Amino acid sequence: MAERLANRLKTEREARGWTQAELAARVGVSRKTINTVENRIFVPSTLLALKLAEAFELSVEQLFSVER
Amino acid sequence: MHDVHDVEEAERMGRTRSRVFFVLAIVFFAGQSVYFSSSPATRDSSPRVGAWLILVLLMLMLLATGGFLLRGRKVRDLLNDEASRHNRLASQALGFWVTILSALAVYVESIFDPVTFNEAIHIIVTLGVGAALISFAVRERRAHRIG
Repeated sequence: MAERLANRLKTEREARGWTQAELAARVGVSRKTINTVENRIFVPSTLLALKLAEAFELSVEQLFSVER
Repeated sequence: MHDVHDVEEAERMGRTRSRVFFVLAIVFFAGQSVYFSSSPATRDSSPRVGAWLILVLLMLMLLATGGFLLRGRKVRDLLNDEASRHNRLASQALGFWVTILSALAVYVESIFDPVTFNEAIHIIVTLGVGAALISFAVRERRAHRIG
């Protein structure tokens, strides 16, 4: 079975009251990229995963996990 | 940290870009269908071939850069971030496969029906570049819409 990258991006973003555009501005990507990562269409690079975790003040493991 | 205004500007330009690329590819294919339906005697006139060549070069530049005509470094960087670069690479890969497969198809066709060198190049390049541009436009439009 294929492994997928699960994430808590939407939950954490909404908990902080941020829009996708606000999160995008914090990490320096487009809203489209945040949208596709949230919806598990696009698997982010290590660099972007680290930047996202940093923006939420979480570890990468708290934000992303492998779904089997 | 970027400005939210830049992100919104990149969003607007990204949607426009995917629409423009899609329409450009459709116009390109429509133009080539007119070209191939015209008589071989008049087909290779200089203006027609010149227009095709300019359009192909323009499309290649757009595919290579993601929109070299766009102004504003910050917004352009947001527009061509890693998701866009991924879409562009995937589209270029599709263009490669379409080019190879159309070259094979033209080769097989030439066994039964003579195809001139110019015709073969025209068909292969048209399909390869057009498919890549349409693929990029569709991927970008889908990425904007999801959610």
